Amino acid sequence: MSVRLLLLLAWRNLWRHPRRTIIMLAAISLGVWMMLFTAAFMQGMVEQQVQDTISNLTGHVQIHNPKYRDDPAIENSMDIGLSKLDRVLEDPEVKQLSTRVRLPAVIASERETRGVTLVGIRPQNEAGLSFIADSITSGRYLTSSSDNGVIIGKALAEKLETDLGKRIVIMSQDSDNQVADRGFRIVGIYRAELQGTELAYAFTGLDTARAMLKMGEQVSEVSLVSDERENLDSLANRLRNKFPDLEVMTWKELLPLLVASVELYDAILIFWYLIIFIAMSFGLVNTLLMAVFERTREIGLFQALGMSPRFIILQILVESLILLLIGLVVGNLLSWITVISLSGGINLAAFSQGMEWVQMGSMLVPLLYMKDIITSNLLVIVLGLFASLYPAVRAARAVPVDAITRS
Amino acid sequence: MKISNILKAVTAGACLMVTTALSAQQPSAEQIILDAINHERDTSSYSVITMTIHRPDWQRSMTMKSWTKGMKKSLVRVIEPKKDAGSGNLLIDESMWSYAPKINRVIKLPSSMMNQSWMGSDFTNNDLAKADDIVDYYNHNLVDVREHNGKKLYVIESIPKDTAPVVWGKEIVEVREDRVMLGHKFYDQDGKLVKRLEVNEVKNMDGKLVASSIRMLNVEESEHWTEVKIEEARFGVDLPERIFTLSNLRNPRQGY
Repeated sequence: MSVRLLLLLAWRNLWRHPRRTIIMLAAISLGVWMMLFTAAFMQGMVEQQVQDTISNLTGHVQIHNPKYRDDPAIENSMDIGLSKLDRVLEDPEVKQLSTRVRLPAVIASERETRGVTLVGIRPQNEAGLSFIADSITSGRYLTSSSDNGVIIGKALAEKLETDLGKRIVIMSQDSDNQVADRGFRIVGIYRAELQGTELAYAFTGLDTARAMLKMGEQVSEVSLVSDERENLDSLANRLRNKFPDLEVMTWKELLPLLVASVELYDAILIFWYLIIFIAMSFGLVNTLLMAVFERTREIGLFQALGMSPRFIILQILVESLILLLIGLVVGNLLSWITVISLSGGINLAAFSQGMEWVQMGSMLVPLLYMKDIITSNLLVIVLGLFASLYPAVRAARAVPVDAITRS
Repeated sequence: MKISNILKAVTAGACLMVTTALSAQQPSAEQIILDAINHERDTSSYSVITMTIHRPDWQRSMTMKSWTKGMKKSLVRVIEPKKDAGSGNLLIDESMWSYAPKINRVIKLPSSMMNQSWMGSDFTNNDLAKADDIVDYYNHNLVDVREHNGKKLYVIESIPKDTAPVVWGKEIVEVREDRVMLGHKFYDQDGKLVKRLEVNEVKNMDGKLVASSIRMLNVEESEHWTEVKIEEARFGVDLPERIFTLSNLRNPRQGY
């Protein structure tokens, strides 16, 4: 029996009851659309979370004094001179690099005092590396590493009841363990995706911070970005060889929780596919069973005429395959259109407080990845065919005499 | 301004001859402030003070002894009420240590705590520690000369310099020509009054006039004030160096 005949039979059988078939197709398409849209939504969330975290002063690779991450105190700074930095920049995979002072401090206004992280930066180097360079909403960005002004977050300014152009006092510990404090004028206000970020950092020039804290040429961290954020291990290893007494870590090592949550999302997606599939498969099995029962006489006749049970099974499976394939094509197309039409981002500002809890901003761009498309489609086809085995086997088991004489 | 608020009032200085012949020429604003600080701190001092902290629904008082030497060293120890007795603060330069007998620990106050309230009052640790930076951190201007009990009262406007670790927009200090400070107002950077120090009583103690009862008021919250009264004071006393040590902060010896 030729494949062509098999296909023809299956195709014609499907359209004996166009309404039933269309309903089934709709169910499959909708199911696949649900799978893929949820996946795109979640991946968009994850991607944004990763990007935000990397631009939130993390970068792709960081270099620290080995003790700094346990205790980000001034005595755990490191001396990394320009010659050493040039050696980092020699590496072809290093795109951009920034050195920072990043230490706990206290910021005080007339009415409030709060703990912050004082970040001394080289303003030009941060552009393209961290969020701060393009997050200033009022005032100006820092102009040089000896800029005397300070930039604070909008939320912090509100908590401190202060504003652009006013003075605040920043206090910290200098390298002699004495209280170091001085007044700063607020030259800029920044906004960040998360309120937590706005409250966390006060930026000033690197040299200004070093002078205030008597740090000489020391810095707290070096942060750098490469061309892409995957496969950083070889770069990190090369840097480790260059600086054996410093700690070199990629963002994946720095943020194990984030990496774990990315993996968790992938696992959740598989479960989600399964749940949708199970709902879908009941409909599929039921439809096929109906078709088989209706055609008992016909199937009996086929068998009586010499068609082997294998071909009967195949015929039902091909029917199921055609259903699934059409459903998948429509479903994929639907989700592709949805994702394209939402590529400007979904505004979740109404839930921004809740989103804050999961470290998310309020704009979400859904992302459809090939791996999610393949996983979900493959899962639907393989498990769909597997589920269709039951009606197919039922059909093949029909005893020809009974089947034909049944009226 | 991180002016000596408490210590200034609490510890007075030896009567540096206030000559009646303050010549027709006005002293400079800086000089007036400096003289007032020197008048209050003297070369050394010993005093007993009572501090009353008032809040809308409660009020409490504590009695303390205080020793100061020069501009850089001071020790304050609580003697009443019993529950707080023994706890104290030692100040050397701008470093401050605190001792709590209940946990038997001396801690050096980190910068993060310097702006916090001192013993729950309306003064901050910085108010004590930054007692004499007033001259370096501000530009002082004599804005008015008034009359108080027949004496001249200088009104000085002090504007902190840009890099000064001072949060205020401006401060107004009132100093009488006999070097007694009579008022200190703290304005925010919009020119709004935030805190006010007022002197309610000027008394002759150990031979010189000092502000013996001062009150710091939080202007924005009613019924928030702290009053400091000097019960007893002696100036220019001979104090051994060992008073101002961590070991003496923890284990008071021979009456110090």
